[in-house]
Amino acid sequence: MTSLAMLRADERAKAGEAFAARGLPHRRIEEWKYSDLRNTIGANDVSAAGSVAWSLPHTPQGLEVLDLSQDEIPGWARAHWGKLRGQGVMEDAAIAFSTGGLALRVPKGTAVREPFHMNLIAGGHGRVLIVLEEGASLTLVETHDASQALVNIEYEIALGANATLQHIRRMPNAADAVRVGTVSATLAKSACYRGHFADFGSKLSRLETNLTLDGAGAEAKLSGVAVLAGKTHADVTTHIKHAAGDTASTQLFKLVAGGQARGVYQGRITVAEGANKSDSRQTAKGLLLGERAEIDLKPELEIFADDVKCAHGAAIGDLDAESLFYLRSRGIPEREARDLLIHAFLADAIAEIEDEGLRAEIWRAVEAALVYAEAAP
Amino acid sequence: MLEIKNLHVAVGGQEILKGLTLSIADGEVHAIMGPNGSGKSTLSYVLAGREGYEITQGSVLYRGQDLTTMAPEERAAQGVFLAMQYPVEIPGVTTMTFLKTALNAQRRARGEKEVDAVGVLKLVREKAKALNVPEEMLKRALNVGFSGGEKKRLEILQAAVFQPSLAILDETDSGLDIDALKLVAQGVNALRAPDRAMLVITHYQRLLNYIVPDRVHVLSAGRIIKEGGKELALELEARGYAQIIKDAA
Ligand SMILES: Nc1ncnc2c1ncn2[C@@H]1O[C@H](COP(=O)(O)OP(=O)(O)OP(=O)(O)O)[C@@H](O)[C@H]1O
Ligand SMILES: [Mg+2]
Repeated sequence: MTSLAMLRADERAKAGEAFAARGLPHRRIEEWKYSDLRNTIGANDVSAAGSVAWSLPHTPQGLEVLDLSQDEIPGWARAHWGKLRGQGVMEDAAIAFSTGGLALRVPKGTAVREPFHMNLIAGGHGRVLIVLEEGASLTLVETHDASQALVNIEYEIALGANATLQHIRRMPNAADAVRVGTVSATLAKSACYRGHFADFGSKLSRLETNLTLDGAGAEAKLSGVAVLAGKTHADVTTHIKHAAGDTASTQLFKLVAGGQARGVYQGRITVAEGANKSDSRQTAKGLLLGERAEIDLKPELEIFADDVKCAHGAAIGDLDAESLFYLRSRGIPEREARDLLIHAFLADAIAEIEDEGLRAEIWRAVEAALVYAEAAP
Repeated sequence: MLEIKNLHVAVGGQEILKGLTLSIADGEVHAIMGPNGSGKSTLSYVLAGREGYEITQGSVLYRGQDLTTMAPEERAAQGVFLAMQYPVEIPGVTTMTFLKTALNAQRRARGEKEVDAVGVLKLVREKAKALNVPEEMLKRALNVGFSGGEKKRLEILQAAVFQPSLAILDETDSGLDIDALKLVAQGVNALRAPDRAMLVITHYQRLLNYIVPDRVHVLSAGRIIKEGGKELALELEARGYAQIIKDAA
């Protein structure tokens, strides 16, 4: 065995032990309060799920894509591999039960113009390592097929000084699927992570995003929408850590739930001691389309510095009856009036996506999802 | 055009309109005046079809049809328009988009051809100019951050764009400055036609100098207690409601 193979075997064994000891997360663990995985899937189904498969139709110029199951991997991948992850048990599962992984790298000063599309075509566990060197930039468009039973992906992201990663993640509706994702990103000086997430619900769907703003000028911009129908669920959990001063984070999440669906947003912002002049804004809003739908919003602030700006707000409501009447009294049929108001509700979160074409794709998916979310049960 | 007979309406179990009778013929303009809380807005909402207003007795016929069974959007398509006392702010929907959507929804419901974006823009611009509504306002979210007077002007702009058969104006004059009042009155007068009618709710005789009514009704505690020609508005202004109500009792 090469030393690399030994390292890997060791890492996987340790993660497997950790997973066995801790078991699947459940609702008594605060971060999983609204997403009881233990109640949704068996531990054996998780350990037997195997590795995901990606379809990567085109590698844009300037991007290096690497399959990490091969025997030799370059130094940049080795330098970061396994070092950026958090402490989550599902990260342990991803490491223990997947073989290999996918690594992306954009070298210093390179701006990758075309977006890189990653489409998940087979379920299971997966690891993704993304390294953007100083001044590099990349747009990643991640989509998933609807048919997977279990998907659990662990993302480790290192953004060098002045690097910008735009991560767009679109999860189709998949009523029977269980989908878990954990993003761990570290941002150096003036680096920027833009995460734009759209989730159309599955049996259990949860994306946890842990960002560490490590250098002055680093910026996190997160936005997302969920449009849920039937008995589906979507949970977006974020933890943004302002580790250095002069860092900024904005979050804007809009959740729409119809039927008996459940939407969740949990967002924790930590401003470390000495991280002065940090600016964090956090807005999460929920719109309930039915009496049996549920939305939980939980913004949290932990501030250990004195000189910081923080603004946060969360609100849940129904479609405004007065607005609906106003529109209908002008001749707009009820269904169309509701649509107009729901669109207005979602618009600012989707507008955060800079690329017009990508925005339009999200809107199309939203339109389709709304038809179901507006249907009664 | 409109025939209201012995209308009783309850809101939240409480009777607000208590046997209101009123008819408006084609081509006529009627004014309703009455103290705060007498039920003027309640009447306007009932005519527009807002939920939560229970008709316990009486009837409302619009062009011979029972208005009470129609959905609000159906009424609008049939030509009923209510300029609200408190227009609603709708964030995220631009005024222009709203006007286009509403106009075409009405046309569609009537089986008419929709107007394309360019056509709507042209129509709205022309009407906006007459009412001194700045182009910039049309790009903003509907009523959001508009001043009281701007909201009222936008209501009349809608009337001008939709060309309703029955326009109900609920205190459209309140909040308007003197110049705006004249412009709005001109806009309203431009809508007067032999096949249209108007119901103007106001507290002030001043508006009726510009929009001269054929009939004036005094509403008090959910009933019309006095009716007359345009001179009744002057009498009200001179003597106050209390005196008139006392006379009627
Ligand atoms: N939703 C409601 N629930 C209970 N009472 C209501 C409701 N809406 C209106 N009312 C009551 O009905 C009465 C009539 O109200 P309305 O708004 O029609 O008066 P108005 O004549 O338009 O008064 P103003 O001149 O102040 O506009 C008032 O006493 C009001 O408090
Ligand atoms: Mg009123």
